[in-house]
Amino acid sequence: MNKEIKKYVCPYCGEGFDTTEGLKGHVFKTHKGHGLPVSEGGIRLFINKAEYELKVEPNWTLHYLIHDVLGLTGSKQFCDQGACGSCTMIVDGKPVLSCMMLAIECDGKIVETVEGIAAEGHPLIESYAKNHAMQCGYCTPGFVVTSKALLDRNSDPNEEEIMSALAGNICRCGTYPQHVLAVREVAQTLKQEKKQVRG
Amino acid sequence: MRDFKHFNAYSVDEAVALMGRYGERAAVIAGGTDILGKMKDSILPAYPEALINIKTIQGLSEIKESGGMLNIGALALLADIAANPVIKSKYAALAQAAGRTASPHLRNMGTIGGNICQDIRCWYYRNQNNRFSCLRKKGGRCYAIKGDNRYHSIFGGSVSGGCFAVHPSDAAPALVALDAKIVTSSRTIDVEKFFEVKPVKTTVLKADEIVTEIQVPEPPAGSSSAFLKFALRKSIDFPIVNCAVMITLRDSKVEKARICLNAVHVIPYRAVKAEQVITGRVIDEAAAEEAGAAAVSEAKPLEHNKYMVAIARTLVKRAILACAGK
Amino acid sequence: MTKQSEIERARMVEMFDNLRADKYTLKEYKYIGKKGPRRTDGLAKASGEADYTMDVQLPGMLYMRFLDSPYPHAKILKMDTSKAEKLPGVKCILRYDDPELAESANLGLLPIFQNDKPLDGIAHFEGQPMGAAVAADTEAIAEEALSLIEIEWEERPFMLDPIAACEPGAPLTFPERYMDGNHWNKGVLDEDIHSDVKKGFAEADRVIEFKIARAGHTWICPERPCGVWKWNGDCPEIWLKNQRGYVAKKYINTWFGGIPMNKIELHMLYQGATFGGWTHTDWNLGGLYCAAVASGRMKRPVKYVFTRREDFYGSSMDEGIYFVKVGFKNDGTIIAVDSILYEVNAIHPVFGPVLHLHESTRIPHLKGQTKSIWVNKGPGVAIRCEMLGPVLTQTMVMDHVADELGMDPIEVALKNDGCKGHNMGWLNEKKKERGFEVRDSLKECIEKGKAEFRWDQAWHKPGTRKLPNGRMHGVGFAWTHEWSDSTGSGEIAIRIERNDGTATLLGMHCDSGVDAENTYCQIVADELGMRLEDVHFNPQFDPGFHLNSPDSSCGMSINGWLARHAARTLKQKILESATSPSSPTQRGSFSPAFPNTSPEELDIKDSVIFVKSDPSRRISMADFARPMALQGPLTNTEAFGTRNAWMEPLCAYAYHTQEGEYNPKGPREKCCRQAHFMEVEVDTETGEVVVTRVVNVNDVGKVINRMSCEGQQYGGSIMGMSRGKLEEVVHDPVTGVMLNGNLIDYKVATIQDVCPISTILVETGMGYGPYGLVGIGEDIATVVPSLLAPAVYNAIGAWINEFPTTPDKVLKALGKI
Repeated sequence: MNKEIKKYVCPYCGEGFDTTEGLKGHVFKTHKGHGLPVSEGGIRLFINKAEYELKVEPNWTLHYLIHDVLGLTGSKQFCDQGACGSCTMIVDGKPVLSCMMLAIECDGKIVETVEGIAAEGHPLIESYAKNHAMQCGYCTPGFVVTSKALLDRNSDPNEEEIMSALAGNICRCGTYPQHVLAVREVAQTLKQEKKQVRG
Repeated sequence: MRDFKHFNAYSVDEAVALMGRYGERAAVIAGGTDILGKMKDSILPAYPEALINIKTIQGLSEIKESGGMLNIGALALLADIAANPVIKSKYAALAQAAGRTASPHLRNMGTIGGNICQDIRCWYYRNQNNRFSCLRKKGGRCYAIKGDNRYHSIFGGSVSGGCFAVHPSDAAPALVALDAKIVTSSRTIDVEKFFEVKPVKTTVLKADEIVTEIQVPEPPAGSSSAFLKFALRKSIDFPIVNCAVMITLRDSKVEKARICLNAVHVIPYRAVKAEQVITGRVIDEAAAEEAGAAAVSEAKPLEHNKYMVAIARTLVKRAILACAGK
Repeated sequence: MTKQSEIERARMVEMFDNLRADKYTLKEYKYIGKKGPRRTDGLAKASGEADYTMDVQLPGMLYMRFLDSPYPHAKILKMDTSKAEKLPGVKCILRYDDPELAESANLGLLPIFQNDKPLDGIAHFEGQPMGAAVAADTEAIAEEALSLIEIEWEERPFMLDPIAACEPGAPLTFPERYMDGNHWNKGVLDEDIHSDVKKGFAEADRVIEFKIARAGHTWICPERPCGVWKWNGDCPEIWLKNQRGYVAKKYINTWFGGIPMNKIELHMLYQGATFGGWTHTDWNLGGLYCAAVASGRMKRPVKYVFTRREDFYGSSMDEGIYFVKVGFKNDGTIIAVDSILYEVNAIHPVFGPVLHLHESTRIPHLKGQTKSIWVNKGPGVAIRCEMLGPVLTQTMVMDHVADELGMDPIEVALKNDGCKGHNMGWLNEKKKERGFEVRDSLKECIEKGKAEFRWDQAWHKPGTRKLPNGRMHGVGFAWTHEWSDSTGSGEIAIRIERNDGTATLLGMHCDSGVDAENTYCQIVADELGMRLEDVHFNPQFDPGFHLNSPDSSCGMSINGWLARHAARTLKQKILESATSPSSPTQRGSFSPAFPNTSPEELDIKDSVIFVKSDPSRRISMADFARPMALQGPLTNTEAFGTRNAWMEPLCAYAYHTQEGEYNPKGPREKCCRQAHFMEVEVDTETGEVVVTRVVNVNDVGKVINRMSCEGQQYGGSIMGMSRGKLEEVVHDPVTGVMLNGNLIDYKVATIQDVCPISTILVETGMGYGPYGLVGIGEDIATVVPSLLAPAVYNAIGAWINEFPTTPDKVLKALGKI
């Protein structure tokens, strides 16, 4: 079924119109007061609670954008094919692999990186250090981000749930046993804090 | 990755139009976890000129059951399918298959549509820079036949030409066992007829056709389903062999059985002989064992993959027993 | 210089070479041995702040990528780079025939391999970076440019199998280097003979022979190999992913007609794992060399990077076929072992397969031969560690003998424990001679391990225990000595900072994750008497003092001495300074912090200097070191007529050297042992092997950093189990192309593939390192892979002498395929 593409596409929301008048009317009615739309290849992104408006190349992965272009080098690239978890970032609340996502497809997304998690003083950072849940440290940011996402959706995970959540994170140095300890410890801490708040 | 144009499609029509315009020169991107890997390694002779993003199409990611039918949007995430309480209880094989696919991160990105449309993982086909320009790339031959074929087909090659690369999906055999239908932008197809093997193609989809929905009929009363996966690692790995089974019991005997193996053949392998053996029987170890043997009775293993036959046979047996709660 | 300083100096020299027990340990330990505070690098690594070489970005930096050979053995006849040069963003293309690229440069290999080209025109394995290097604005552009280079190749015949490569008429795999044949190490470290195996076999009650096959496996370091070169005038500023920065510096010193050491600035940031590997392979520094040339031409910094796939080309010095013949008595005493290893591509053929049997058993007749054979694959280098081959041989010998006799392998172990063909009586005498307390390390390790593992309930006759879940249960045991072996030296300095008296360790180390930095601080804190939080070590900058790399498990047995020697020297300096007039100039001096006191009367505890007989007389290090020279014309003190107090620098350096193990006499009797236990379940219908429990017992002599030691135990167990069960590099037999150079098809264990691991540390004090310590870093990862075979044998009653222990091999052993 080969339909003609609508000629006049709204740069804000992508709705299509047959005439310029139609498009114009729509923009004034629906998008009055909105900021200027981003240019072609432009995206808006929230990274660690800061808003960015960026022009990106189609072939940039989200990892390349954040690590190489923006210089947030916490997230690492180990396998570059979605098989190791080192590049994990939280996007719209879910832990995903930034090396297998295109930056240009992240318009409007909310991204949390390890830097943001550390900046907000998340207890995972301290717990990881204390429990030696790292050796060379290259995979560690990926684990921290994945663990944080786990605790966000399940604040009291048991051992099996932790291992299940971290099943996509590879550690060559073999620190796996320590991640369970570190996350359990944070879960205990968060539980205590909740009790205190309630009590 | 090299340069390419990127389009966001906001409707199925728009996607189809773009696909029609570009033909083989463009690729569709949903979750992206397959296509980006192919592009990073430049495995194909030609690099896509354009990617058509279909994640921007609204309304294709819902999961709902109504009127005796489970409707899953093609863009539904594997993680959501695995966690969905209705699917877990009534369409268990699919929830288990989705839940065993890849890794937790990838399940947050990968879609069910992308999963059944995914390309083969054969390590000759996937070698970087098109090192092996094989049959599936319109090249001369299959390199696995004389090469290392430990993960290749145990049921012979494809009909046209003789490709021995297996279909790698975990969800696909579950959909076959559950007798699903695939709804595309232009038609509805039985899942078993959805797969085919042609150069650079793993499905019957035309160049300007996309999957929009998967429909799974509610299993009849007395049914249960199960999915088992065999891989060297407990996470991340593609299957070496997997098996999905749906059994309908009546008066403790098997009234209907649908048994599907995958990663053992070029397309999901419906183990018809195994189904014949188990139908009408009470499920016990002996019957399941017989069914397993029947499932692989036509196996034609290659030099390095005989072990897969034993595993396939075992998985069929165990999946049948799992359906019976054993 | 105090009298005590002279004593300390004499002791330092006495402990050189690590040839005897430490006579001068501390009386009590505050930080050494305890579970200390968090790692010094922990917060940086967990928060993403730790920088690695892959994270380095400099203004104007170019990215360099290399051509990889598509053929396992081929020569470039013609190369046309014109299309690549035209690609926008490409700045510089180096060719193999570029006159500025040296015919050979010192790229860090052993001296027996001369003449390494930074960019070769001939490839000797598929995937070899060679031929061309492209520097461009981005990595993606460099990669695209490489695909535009047109090459006419002369393909040559290639070999992949070591035994076939030895057959007469086999084509030469590397004719430029090995013109006489693919088995190249004839007469070079190829035979290791202890006594008379023929006699031994004649005396034996039984003789068995078996063959082992080990597929190649590789290091998989998360951070890709890379480096940055920037010329600041004629001074290079370099960032390098490398295990031994100081060694790299030594080679860089010889490049381009010679770059003075004092002009080379080398940044060794955090390293995304090393495990050996790229330190030893020529094209790691070859990449840097090319980056240097390009950087010189473009007047911009150049970062060379290798891809994940390129990092797969190399294996671990245990790949090959082992032919083993064992003669033994009916009571389990082994009399003779003769073994030949056809080893693939080892570039360090330093020992035969019987080395560990020689070092840790009483077996009187041993003969081991290593045929180093070059095939068209990447080089085999020391990867945690080079002892994989000898350890595998020991485990298989011990367990095959136990099997033949129906004996508990632990009994066989205890019967054969010894050293250099002598029994424990002899070894115990040596322990006394060396100054050690005589302990039976193996016995202690076994006792602890057996209890933890519940071995007596777990062990059974092979193939006899089926579990309720239908699987076959099996347990395996392996043991050997604990080692810290290679030759090494190092130097370190410690300074007390002015103003607050904190201590800084100065040394260019190379962090590979073992938390060595914190360990040195523990030693220094205990030796100086300072609080641990007052002692700090920043490993990432290069003050010129080099520490020994943590490889060969001898990081602590050299660097531990360094930290201690320097701390003891410094302590004497501090005490002397505290009792001497301070700030001496022409104008006079100030009275000492402790007047009319000798240094011998003082001590330091919790960062406070005090008089031993009257602790109320005290001064904190912070107060003692507080004075510092103020500067500038408007200082208050001068205006008020007072004189600036200042202090002589409190700084000491030290050095240490260890005589290496890889010389014919092997200078040290190995007294410490390690024992490992593994439990498996084998699914006999699918061939799946599930490892359900591992217990590690390592006699480290003395624990310094407890959590770091345990980290090596569970970490090594996981790497070991992964190598033994899952990992192998696969090549296409027809084309020689690597088929699984990626992390999906090459299987590294995930968190769901691991089992409970017990970590037990024994401390007999019989190590040659400081405080009686011996190394641990390599040991477990080297021993655990071999455990798969005896454990699976115990489960199914059939030996699988091939690694990795994949399902197809299990099914075959069961007769099912």
